[in-house]
Amino acid sequence: MKAVVKVDHLRKSYKDIKAVSDISFRVYEGEIFGMLGPNGAGKTTTMEIVEGIRKADSGRVSVLGIDVRKNPRQVKSNIGVQLQTTSLYPRLTVSEVMALFASFYPRSASISRLIKLVDLEDSRKKRCKNLSGGQQQRLSIALALVNNPKVIFLDEPTSGLDPQSRHNIWGIIEYVRGKGKSVFITTHYMEEAQRLCDRVAIVDHGKIIATDAPDKLVSQHFQEEAIEFELSQKLDDDDLRAVSGVTNVVQENGKVIVYSNAVPVTVSALLDMAKQRGFELTNLYVRRATLEDVFLKLTGRRIRE
Amino acid sequence: MKTFRVLLMANAKQFVRERAALFWTFVFPIFFILIFGAVFSGSMEDVNFEVGLVIEDDSSLAQNMSVALEQIPAFTLTIGDRDTEMQALRDGDRRAVIIVNAGFGESITQGQPTDIDVYYDPTQTSSVQILLPIIQKVIDNFDRALSGTAPLIYLNEETLQSRNLRAIDYLVPGILAMALMQLGLFAVAPIVVDRENKVLKRLGATPLKRSTMISSTVVFNLIVAVIQAALIILIARLVFDVPMLGNWFYLAGFILLGTLTFLAMGYMLSAFARNEQTLMPLLMIVQFPMMFLSGIFFPLEMMPGFMRPIMDAIPLTYLADSLRQIMVESAPLHSHLVNLGVLGAWFAVCLILAVRFFKWE
Repeated sequence: MKAVVKVDHLRKSYKDIKAVSDISFRVYEGEIFGMLGPNGAGKTTTMEIVEGIRKADSGRVSVLGIDVRKNPRQVKSNIGVQLQTTSLYPRLTVSEVMALFASFYPRSASISRLIKLVDLEDSRKKRCKNLSGGQQQRLSIALALVNNPKVIFLDEPTSGLDPQSRHNIWGIIEYVRGKGKSVFITTHYMEEAQRLCDRVAIVDHGKIIATDAPDKLVSQHFQEEAIEFELSQKLDDDDLRAVSGVTNVVQENGKVIVYSNAVPVTVSALLDMAKQRGFELTNLYVRRATLEDVFLKLTGRRIRE
Repeated sequence: MKTFRVLLMANAKQFVRERAALFWTFVFPIFFILIFGAVFSGSMEDVNFEVGLVIEDDSSLAQNMSVALEQIPAFTLTIGDRDTEMQALRDGDRRAVIIVNAGFGESITQGQPTDIDVYYDPTQTSSVQILLPIIQKVIDNFDRALSGTAPLIYLNEETLQSRNLRAIDYLVPGILAMALMQLGLFAVAPIVVDRENKVLKRLGATPLKRSTMISSTVVFNLIVAVIQAALIILIARLVFDVPMLGNWFYLAGFILLGTLTFLAMGYMLSAFARNEQTLMPLLMIVQFPMMFLSGIFFPLEMMPGFMRPIMDAIPLTYLADSLRQIMVESAPLHSHLVNLGVLGAWFAVCLILAVRFFKWE
């Protein structure tokens, strides 16, 4: 597979804070590559360095074979970008902003087709300030596609949106991949990473701690399933670990997750224990392990605190 | 080039869709002119200054002086003795009293310089702005006639009568200068808003050159400046018959240079402002002293002496002076060359600091 983005040993510090420390990865042709991690993990910094709008302290970045440090304008001509904060000329209309951005590039895609793709046909004459959050987000994705780029960078594309808008945007991103383009997204939504990405890099404290397809990441780290419940009193991790079938235990604010490779046995053992010791066990449910569990296992905390 | 054109159009669309910008750029200066025009209204014929003349010298030269002054149509001349006329000035019955001292004729015949005293009330703006130049002109003519071979008294009545008379004539070029200053200073505000909203950052992720972006907004503001100036000149002409006597190319040149200077100053000042909320007060703090210390509303002579260095430093003084000279042929404070030099220096310094300190993020 051909790599469209190559990043090697990237480092970036702000004063004393290491935003990115030694990150290396590839984005391949035709895939959706996601960086998953909490706010402040270094995702945005990494992405903006690759886009050529921020300078790295050290490391090598090339996009479509072009060295970003040496030819930032050439890179910018060939990629599509959506920034985390979307605010676009409040007094211009949708089609005016599209035409304006199209004029920045040597060649551009059909504007009417893009407006149709992001479902803004009824709003093309609306001023940007009158668009809803979801519409603005879709417009900014359309702007990222205006030069018909081979690689598209989307920084938290569904942040703060309602579920329906989020699904709309996922649909657009999958359509774009279907056209053979590569998509690099950052997100702190587990669900988004799991559902959308072909490969995910889990990022924490400026480092990539794991990279693979979401399902593989989960199956590598968990053969077991997760049992979540709440307890009326705190128990020692060791007490829970002693329950049959349990492989690992995480407790957080009265909420307990135990991982088990024998769920029926574990659940009945837990209920027995609760009865014997006289505490309540509520809101119990069983689920498959997810990326969130992988993150928890690797870092010891949840992605959204 | 296509990018430039599209950016220019985008600028224009955003501008006309913001009512506040339209108001400050076009309505506000016109309001100023209409209000001040109404206050100082009155055509040439109506302008009438009660001027007292005291002649304490019985030479024929002194008599000729009084004849010369009588010919000024805007003056109603009363000849009387010193005590009566000075009392009349104090009572507000005279706008000025001119005193030809004893020995005036004799000194002149002997070829020695001599003084004519003019007393006036400095709180009357129009006394300073209008009366003094007229009296000065009369004396100049008189002087020139004496030293040359021309007829003893040769009054260039055309220049005197037609111009330099009304307060509104002085005011309009000043208002124009003020409007250009405001346009230029505040032009940076939308850029600061774009910076705050990360629009500039988004543009930075495209191959658009910063120089193309900035030059398109600068050119746009110069176009607005020309439209604004045309509107001010036109309204002043239609409503108050304020003339445009001078060279249109000089006028356009000073309008453009003035706008560029204040544009650069605005960009420079924006370096000290994190966002629009801090930028606006900063621009206000800069523009108000300029408005009131540049001789647009109050003649510079009225200001206390310690203010003088400030007045001599601010670029608006020089822009207003040249615009006044070009439009109504007012008495120059400085030559055009000096004005050009000072404005050019301000432009260069502001531009260098703006380029050095302007923040894109």
